[in-house]
Amino acid sequence: MNEKNISILVQRQRSTRRAATIFLAPVAILMMVYIFYPIISTFITSTYKWNGISAAKEMTGLENWITLIKDTSFWIAFKNNLVIMVLSIVIQIPLGLALATFLDFGKKKLTIFKVIWFIPLLMSSVAIGFLFTYALATNGGMISTISKFFGGGNIDLLGNPKTALLTVIAIICWQFTPFYMVYFMAAFTNIPYDVFEAARIDGATRGQYFWRIALPLLVPSMKSAAILSMVGSLKYFDLIYVMTGGGPGTSTELMATYMYKQSFKTFNMGYGSAVAGGMFILITMVALITMKLLNGKKQEV
Amino acid sequence: MERTIDKNADRTVDRTMDTIRKNKIKKVVYWGIAFVLAVFWLLVSSLPFVFMVMNSFKEKFEMLVSGVFSLPAALNLNNYKEVLIGNFGSYFLNSVIVLAVSLILLLFIAACASYPLARFRFKLAAPIYALIVACMSIPIHITLIPVFKMSQSAGLYDSIWALIGPYVAFGIPISVFILTSFMQQIPREIEESAEIDGCNKFQMFFQMILPLSKSGLATLAIYNGVNMWNEFSFAYTLTQSSENRTLPLAVWEFQGQYSMNTPMIMAVLTLSLLPMIIMFILFQDKLVKGMTAGAVKG
Amino acid sequence: MKLRFKRLVALSMVSLLTVLTVACGSSTGTTGKSEGSSESAGRSDDSKEIIFWNIGTENPDKEIMTYGVDTFNETTESGYTVVSVPTQNDTYKEKLVIAMSSGECPDMYTSWSGGPMNEYVDSGFAQPIDDLFNASSLPDTLMDAAVAQASYKDHIYAIPMLNVSLSGIFYNTEIFEKYNLEVPTTISELEAVCDTLVENGITPFALANGSKWTGSMYFMSLAARMGGLEPFADAVAGTGSFEDECFIYAGQKIQEWVEKGYFPEGVNSLSEDDGQAKQLMYQESAAMLCCGSWYTGTFSTDSAEFYEKIDWFSFPSVDGSDADSSIQIGTVGDQFISFNCEGDKLAAAFECVSTYSSEEAVQLMVDNGKIPPVKTVGDYLTDPITKKILQAANDASSTQLWYDQYLPPAVAQVHLDTCQEIFGLTMTPEAAAAKLQEAMQSDLAE
Repeated sequence: MNEKNISILVQRQRSTRRAATIFLAPVAILMMVYIFYPIISTFITSTYKWNGISAAKEMTGLENWITLIKDTSFWIAFKNNLVIMVLSIVIQIPLGLALATFLDFGKKKLTIFKVIWFIPLLMSSVAIGFLFTYALATNGGMISTISKFFGGGNIDLLGNPKTALLTVIAIICWQFTPFYMVYFMAAFTNIPYDVFEAARIDGATRGQYFWRIALPLLVPSMKSAAILSMVGSLKYFDLIYVMTGGGPGTSTELMATYMYKQSFKTFNMGYGSAVAGGMFILITMVALITMKLLNGKKQEV
Repeated sequence: MERTIDKNADRTVDRTMDTIRKNKIKKVVYWGIAFVLAVFWLLVSSLPFVFMVMNSFKEKFEMLVSGVFSLPAALNLNNYKEVLIGNFGSYFLNSVIVLAVSLILLLFIAACASYPLARFRFKLAAPIYALIVACMSIPIHITLIPVFKMSQSAGLYDSIWALIGPYVAFGIPISVFILTSFMQQIPREIEESAEIDGCNKFQMFFQMILPLSKSGLATLAIYNGVNMWNEFSFAYTLTQSSENRTLPLAVWEFQGQYSMNTPMIMAVLTLSLLPMIIMFILFQDKLVKGMTAGAVKG
Repeated sequence: MKLRFKRLVALSMVSLLTVLTVACGSSTGTTGKSEGSSESAGRSDDSKEIIFWNIGTENPDKEIMTYGVDTFNETTESGYTVVSVPTQNDTYKEKLVIAMSSGECPDMYTSWSGGPMNEYVDSGFAQPIDDLFNASSLPDTLMDAAVAQASYKDHIYAIPMLNVSLSGIFYNTEIFEKYNLEVPTTISELEAVCDTLVENGITPFALANGSKWTGSMYFMSLAARMGGLEPFADAVAGTGSFEDECFIYAGQKIQEWVEKGYFPEGVNSLSEDDGQAKQLMYQESAAMLCCGSWYTGTFSTDSAEFYEKIDWFSFPSVDGSDADSSIQIGTVGDQFISFNCEGDKLAAAFECVSTYSSEEAVQLMVDNGKIPPVKTVGDYLTDPITKKILQAANDASSTQLWYDQYLPPAVAQVHLDTCQEIFGLTMTPEAAAAKLQEAMQSDLAE
C-alpha cells in the first residue's frame, strides 16, 4: 500500500464523518432539548422526596430506588407489561403481515379493504374506550349476548381480574394491527419488482413466491416490527387508563399508569420519577438485548 | 369424478389436467377462505366506527334508553350543527397547521439522521443508533413538566407553535428506527454506481436515497400524522386559551364534571376522523405507487 | 492516533453538551422551584390580569363560571380583569400539578378542597383569606359547613361556590309503587325492599364501579351510619384505625349485597363516566342509585319526563346503632376557589369570587339544578327533591367530605382501590381495612 492510497482513505473517512455530523445535527439538538433533558431531570427528581409542586424538596439519595426495587406493585405492573408485550408481538405482527399479504396479492382491487382495515388506528381512545365499555358490559353487552345465543351465561370480562388484562390486550391489538399492516405493505413494495418477475418466470405460484422469496426478504422488517411492538407495549398507557384505570385490583396496572398515578394523582413526584426511571431502564435493556439477539442470529446465518 | 376420468383418459394428460384442476380448486379454496377471513376482519375493524357514527346522530337520552348499539331514531343532524357552530373550525385549522409543519419537519429531520446511520460506515453509528432506540422507551408523561417549563421560558406557552417542538422530537426515535431499517434494505449497488458517477453524499441523499425511501416515509407520515392528529397530553399542557386549542380538545365542551354528552362527542370525533381517512386514501396509494416505480428504475 | 483523537473530541463534545443542558436545566429548575411562588406572584403583580383556572368547559358550569367573571369585569373598579381558563375535569388536576411544579400557579383556581387543597396550601400556592373574608359579607352569606370544608389548620383558604352535594339514594317512584314499597328508614327495611326488587328481576342499585369513587359512596354511608364520624376522624388523626368495626361492617354489608345481587352484574367493569349507571335507571332495570345529589341536574337535563318519576331519601340508619343518622357525607360547595396572589390583586380576585354569592348568580345556579352553598338558598328553590336535599344538609349535625377527596391523596387512592376489590369479592373487608390502615400510617409517619 502506498501513501497516496492511505491518504485517500483517510480523506474519505473524514468526509464521511463530516457528512454524518451534518446529517445528524438537527436530531441531536432536538433530542438533547426534548428527550435527554427530561430524562436527566427525571433521574435527578428521583433522588428527592417531593410532592411535585412544593418549593421545598428533601434529598433522599437512593431511597426511592430502594423502595422501587422492593415495590411489588411495580413488579406486577412490569409483569403485566410483559404479558402485553408477548401477546402484542404474537398477535399484531402475524395479523398485520397477513393483512398486508392479502392486500399485496389483490393489488389495487382491494383498496376498500385497505381503508377500512386502517380505521381502528385512526380512532381516538375516547371513542374506543366508550364503545368497548358498552360492548363488554356484563349484562346486555355484545359479548354476553353472543354467549347467551350459544347457550352460555353473562360474561364479565373487564371486571374479572383474570380476564381484564387479556380483554384490554385484545382491544389494543385491534387498534394497532393496522399500523403493522401499513408497515408491511411498505416493506412489500420495498421488494424490487424484478424479484417478483423473476419468480414468475421460474413458474413459482403466488404461494411459493410468498413463502420462499418474499417472506425471507421481509425478515429484517419483521425484526424491526417486533422491536417497535415491544417498546410500544412496554410503555403503553392510553386505553388501559381510559378503560380500567389499572383495576380491578392491580390486574391491569402497567408501569406507565402506575407512574402516572404516583406522579400526578397522589403527589409522590419523587417516587413517580423513580418509577419512570426504572421503566426507562427496563425498556431500554429489554429492547437492546432483543436487538442484540436478533442481529446476532443474522450473523450466524 | 376423478376416478371416471382416471379410467377413460390417457394417464399423463390426465395427471397434468388433474394437477391444474387441483391447483385451481386449491387456489379458489384458499382465496375463498382468505376472503371470508378478510370480510370478517372488515367487520371487526369497521363496527366500532359504524357505531361511533350511529351514536353521533342520537340524542343523549335516546342513546342511553335505547342502547348504544341500536339504530338512531332519526337521521338527526343537530349534533353536527351544534358542533360546527362552535369553535370547531378554529380547532381544526390549528390542528392542520400543527400537523403540516410538524410532519414535514419530522420526516425531513428523521430522513437526514437515518441516512448516515443506515448507509455510512463509521464507528459511532452503532452507539448513536442504540441511543435513539433507548429514546423510544421514554414515557411521555415525564416530559410534560420539563417541556412545559421550557415553553414557558421560551415564551411559547399558549400558542400552537409550542406543540411543534415536542411533536417533532417525540416522533424522531421511532421514525429514525423505521427509516434506518428501510434504508438499510436499499441495494448497495445503487449507491456504488452513483459514487462512481461522482455524486457526493448530499447529492446521493437527495437524488437516490430519499426517493427510494418513499414507502418508508409514507408509513411514517401516516403513523406520525395519526399520532399528532390525536395527540392530547401536550395539547392541553401547552395551551390554555380556546383559540389555541387543537382538535382533540374539542370534546371538552361536551364533557362536564359528572356527565358527558356522548352523542355530541361522537359527532366531534367523527368529524375529526374523516379528514384522516381522506388523507390516508390519497396519501397511501400515491406514495406506494411512486416507490414501486422508483425501484424498477433503480 | 488521529482517528482516536477525533473520536475523543467528538465524545467530549457530546458529553460537554449534555452537561451543559443538564446544568442549564437544573439551574433553571432550582431557581424556578426555590423562588417559585414568590416569583410568579411578583411577576403577576405587574400585570392587571388575573388568571382564573376552572373546570367549566361544559354547560351549565361554563355559563356559571363565565357569569361571575363577566360580572366582575364589567362592574369592578379595581382596575383588574379576570381571565377564565377552563380545562376539562379529568386533565385539570394534572395541568395544575404541572403548572405548580414550574412555579406558574394561576392567580385563582378551583379545587374540591380536602387532601389536594391541603397539598396546595402546604406548598405555598394558596393564601389564607381570613382577613378579607371576615371583612366581607360572606360570613353571613355562606353556609358554615361550606366554610368549614374550605378551611385547613384554622385558616380559610378557599371560597365554596357551586353546589351542595350529598350522598343519598335516588329512587324510581313508579317502581316503588308497582311493588308496594315504602321508603326505608333502616338498613333492614332497605334490604327488604331490595329483596322484593331482586325477586321481580329488578336490580336494586344502579352502580358503575369501574370508576371506583362510585362504590365508595356506599362504603362511606354504611360506615357513617354504623359508627358516626369519630372512627374516621380518629383514623385520619392517627388516634384510631381503619380497622374499626364500622369500616369492617361497611365492607361486609357490601359483600353481602353483592352476593345477594343488589348490584348490577359485572359492577366493577361498568363506567360511570360513560353513563352506564344512569342508563340502568333510564331503562328502569334498576330502581335506586346511591350517589352525589348533583344527579338532580343530570336527570333533569337528560330528561325532564324521567325526572318526574324520581325521588330522594337520605341513607337509612343501621338497626341498633346509636350513630347520629343526621350525619351526611358530601361536599358543601363542590368547587372551592383558592387564591395565589397578594395585595390589591388578591382583593380584586376575592371581589370576583364574591359575585358568585350574589342574588343573580344564586338564581342562575338554582335554575341549572345546583344548590349554591349560601344560607338563603332555600328561598330560591322550587324543586321538591332539591328542597329535600337542602333540608338534609341543614339538619346535618356534621357533613363529612368524600373520603377520596378528604384523605391525603396517596391514602385516598388506596381507599378507592381496596373498596373496588371489596365489590369484586377479591379482598376481604378485613384485608382491605388493614391495607388502608397501613397506607394511613405510612402517610402519618411522614
